[in-house]
Amino acid sequence: MFLAVPSQIVEAAVKLWAAGVLQRHIIVSFSEFIIGYVIAIAIGLPIGLLLAVSPRFRAILSPWVDGLYATPVIAIAPLVILWFGIGIWSKVFVVVSVVIFPVIINTEAGIRSTPHNYVEAIRCFGASRVQVFLKVMIPSALPFIFAGMRLGIGRGLIGVVVGELFGSRAGLGRLIAESAETFNMPNLFVGVLLLAAAGILLTSAFHALERRIVHWT
Amino acid sequence: MEFGNLTALSHVSARVEDGEFISIVGPSGCGKTTLLRIVAGLERATEGSARLNGKQITGTGFERGYVFQADNLLPWRTVLGNVLIGIEIRDGSRSRDEIAKALELIRMVGLEGFEGYYPRQLSGGMRQRANIARALAINPEILLMDEPFSALDAQTREVMQLELNRIWQHGKKTVLFVTHQIDEAVFLSDRIIVLARRPGRIREVLDIDLPRPRDLTTKRRPESVDYVDRIWRLIEREVLDSIEEEKANPDKH
Repeated sequence: MFLAVPSQIVEAAVKLWAAGVLQRHIIVSFSEFIIGYVIAIAIGLPIGLLLAVSPRFRAILSPWVDGLYATPVIAIAPLVILWFGIGIWSKVFVVVSVVIFPVIINTEAGIRSTPHNYVEAIRCFGASRVQVFLKVMIPSALPFIFAGMRLGIGRGLIGVVVGELFGSRAGLGRLIAESAETFNMPNLFVGVLLLAAAGILLTSAFHALERRIVHWT
Repeated sequence: MEFGNLTALSHVSARVEDGEFISIVGPSGCGKTTLLRIVAGLERATEGSARLNGKQITGTGFERGYVFQADNLLPWRTVLGNVLIGIEIRDGSRSRDEIAKALELIRMVGLEGFEGYYPRQLSGGMRQRANIARALAINPEILLMDEPFSALDAQTREVMQLELNRIWQHGKKTVLFVTHQIDEAVFLSDRIIVLARRPGRIREVLDIDLPRPRDLTTKRRPESVDYVDRIWRLIEREVLDSIEEEKANPDKH
């Protein structure tokens, strides 16, 4: 009863597409995701690097990172809607807040786990701290950093949907919420399956990029 | 060059002449590697001093090239990239001229055709060749080698000894070579410093009077065998002691 067979789902998808509704939902959700994802990396990466190299910075910021990481941002999503409104920025905020943690944590872990013998290999050439950082620590941390960003994809997609469930005008989360309220199972599954597909697509595309850049692992 | 009083090492004092191949042998825990690291500037002597051309060693420098025991080529760089790292650190960039020189060095250590390979694609012996080329790329006056062949199998090791002998003949750099293997030291060296342990100090300095150029037959000569025996007798007691100690506290080693 509360399921839909594949043919119904395809039919629903075609109908939604023909009406121009599906495109709008996809574009809104995708923009929220991409903007949030890019901001999370732009902020998370430098924070992770600073945490790794500066004990002082670590002492100040670490408790905040740990605390906020444990805070269920999803649970305060309604509050976020109040702060940032019903438009895309509330969802962007939710995405940033869930993606940023794997980025920060993996970047810090990656830099800090740089094998000492690599550092020594270039230190014996008289490398400065900056040179050690740029020529050894960053490349050595790249596999970790990429893994963090990859984890962020799934978390970000969930963030988009949950944000939209609490308040939005459009987006795949909106589509799912509306369909659920009207017991329109085919439409609901169109949204769910599209999100699953996005997860697979984005993650595998990222994997391909990762393999090209950190080809030595 | 002189070594003064050092941590774990006391009254180790020796001079190394230009172009000499000097080996340092001794039982585990005699401070061989520490001595080399102090000369490299990676560690500091708590007392005394190490001097290069009369100048106190205060840190690392381009007149010294270090070949590590561990295979620590940077895995994200090709052989050529690894060989050029010292130049990049010194100059901030690499000129066409330097690249040509690095390629020449790679050829010299026998890695021609492997310039574009990554470390994981190379065998242990090839990685050590690349390691040597990396240390030579900055054109150091002195090459410091810390048991560079200890991780290699016996046959590869033999080949690498011959190769190092050839490379040294070619460039006539001063080499300070730390090893556990006495026959390796005899085969390669002009002089051997035999260290004793607790505290590390010089037991004896031997001039190795074997004709050059040397090849595998040199190792089988009776004089070679005599040198090996003599050095072994100097350190035998202590090697046995150190093995006993390792058995007694396995965690410390």
